Amino acid sequence: MYNSKVRGRLIEGDKSFGQISREILAPIYKTPLWWYFALLVSLGMFGFGLYAKYITVSTGIGTWGVNNSSAWGWAIINFVWWIGIGHAGTAFSIFLLILRQKWRTAINRAAEAMTVVAVFCASLFPLLHMGRPWLFFFIFPYPNTRGPLWVNFNSPLFWDFVAISAYLLISASFWYFGMVPDFATIRDTAKSKIKKAVYGFFSFGWTGSSKEWLRFEALSFVLGGIAAVLVVSVHSIVATDFAVSVVPGWHTTIFPPYFVIGAIFSGFAMVLTLVIIMRQMYKMNDFVTDSHVDAICRILIFISLIMGTAYTTEIFMAWYSGSDYEMYMFFRNRIFGDYAPEWWAMFISNALVPQLFWFKAIRRKMWIVFLISIIINIGMWFERYNIVVTSTSRDFLPANWANYSPTWVEVGFFVGTLGMFLTGVLLFFRYIPMIAISELKSVSKFDKPNNGKLKSESHE
Amino acid sequence: MNKNYILGVFNDEATLVDAFEKIKAKGVIPVEVYTPYPVHEILIGMGKKTRITHAAFFYGLFAAIGILSFLTYAAVIDWPLRYGGKPFNAFPSFIVVTIVATILSITILTLFTFSARAKIFPGKIPEIYHDRATDDKFVMVISKESLGSSEKEIQSIITEHGEIE
Repeated sequence: MYNSKVRGRLIEGDKSFGQISREILAPIYKTPLWWYFALLVSLGMFGFGLYAKYITVSTGIGTWGVNNSSAWGWAIINFVWWIGIGHAGTAFSIFLLILRQKWRTAINRAAEAMTVVAVFCASLFPLLHMGRPWLFFFIFPYPNTRGPLWVNFNSPLFWDFVAISAYLLISASFWYFGMVPDFATIRDTAKSKIKKAVYGFFSFGWTGSSKEWLRFEALSFVLGGIAAVLVVSVHSIVATDFAVSVVPGWHTTIFPPYFVIGAIFSGFAMVLTLVIIMRQMYKMNDFVTDSHVDAICRILIFISLIMGTAYTTEIFMAWYSGSDYEMYMFFRNRIFGDYAPEWWAMFISNALVPQLFWFKAIRRKMWIVFLISIIINIGMWFERYNIVVTSTSRDFLPANWANYSPTWVEVGFFVGTLGMFLTGVLLFFRYIPMIAISELKSVSKFDKPNNGKLKSESHE
Repeated sequence: MNKNYILGVFNDEATLVDAFEKIKAKGVIPVEVYTPYPVHEILIGMGKKTRITHAAFFYGLFAAIGILSFLTYAAVIDWPLRYGGKPFNAFPSFIVVTIVATILSITILTLFTFSARAKIFPGKIPEIYHDRATDDKFVMVISKESLGSSEKEIQSIITEHGEIE
């Protein structure tokens, strides 16, 4: 029985357990028309991306706008951006699980799905940036005859490879095992034989017995507890990719926490975008209520303040360090220089615009919340643009200075991953219960125990 | 349904727990209780304990030792490489990979342990007593053998809050 004096009722409309199953499972049985249209558009984007990838692999990295000075370009911007988005699932499921925030139950499934797809999108960028992606197994530490026998275990790029593959595997299995009880619900409620068989297979023979639940809870506890470390570690490792180099603007100790917070920020913004679409398109307003959105907005205010602090800390340190190169990078290159529009886009969208969430009227207007969540996503993209491009394009030696602009191949690659992400999310909406049914049921009865027959104190 | 069992079917958690406790007070423990979500009173009351958390700890311990030893063996003993005069035994930088790979090992091994112990694996044919137990019913399966002389009493406890099927 769920009872909270702080949040009150989590599900609107006094629903029975059967009703909860039926309403959440409705999209699996009936597909709206817009879904097909959206899938077509996403597949189109995905196809364009495939073509860009084909050009990249068949001709080479020369088709990109990267050069000797700015060697990373859009590929790494988008890689960091997607990984950031991929942090929300774990942040939602795990941090809120550990903090015993029961309101997570309506959102965690969607956030985890998003994580898996986003991390997959992210991993494509470094893979294709290698130029010869079919040789990517060179990164694995195995005895070989290629010169240096082992890979360099001291390199953050190797750590990154380990961290991201581990993160993808762990978040996917965490997501999957959370769905097993819900697949069993579909198996037992579905009318069609095909659905019964398919979901029956994926439910791994789940019955909901006390033996299963006991171990299931222990499993979530263990996985939740250890994966919380990953939220922090994956993006700090991405940050060390930059921070261990001696490039002005990168070589700062603030990078790991700054990246982790940024990742959670963009992830929460993307979750917000996604749940607002889910609410509108699938009428899930009773489960993802206004107060859920409100809670996410409040978290975003807090994280946005940390982002603002991080930005100003960087500027302060550039001045305080007394280093000419740092000063140049922040003041004459980023804030007032060639890349000023990108810097200000980042600062305004991440540190200032989310402060609008202080006003309750804004938190309750869904279209404004949606708009701000999109602005944050764009702002976070510009943050990565600032970090990746500005520092490398203005090196120590003016002779090395080079401007960077993407070619259509890089843009196509990015559009392709957007298409892949949307396709993944749409398939998720269509085939998988988008809200964790069993978890939601455990919080559905709010302070109304026992059908009114027994004394309410008897089990609390 | 099987003739050797009686099924107590309840509509919500509280009535299930109440009936469960009354039945337990009579000295009868149900064979199994099926619920749409975990009910802690039942999990505790059934008297089963899980050692998955202990198993996970030892997986982590051995994985961490194994991975750290591998890194040290590979980078220090077997094939030391010179990277700009840095020490071969760069212990702090091994920690990162150790932590991440340990977490991965714990996850995978714990999942397999869960799968083996809870008998949840692909292709398993579920043993379903009541097909609404994953939807909206709370089902208690009691073996008739365990009832002995108190069958009438138990039945009346169940019908007080739920139904017998």
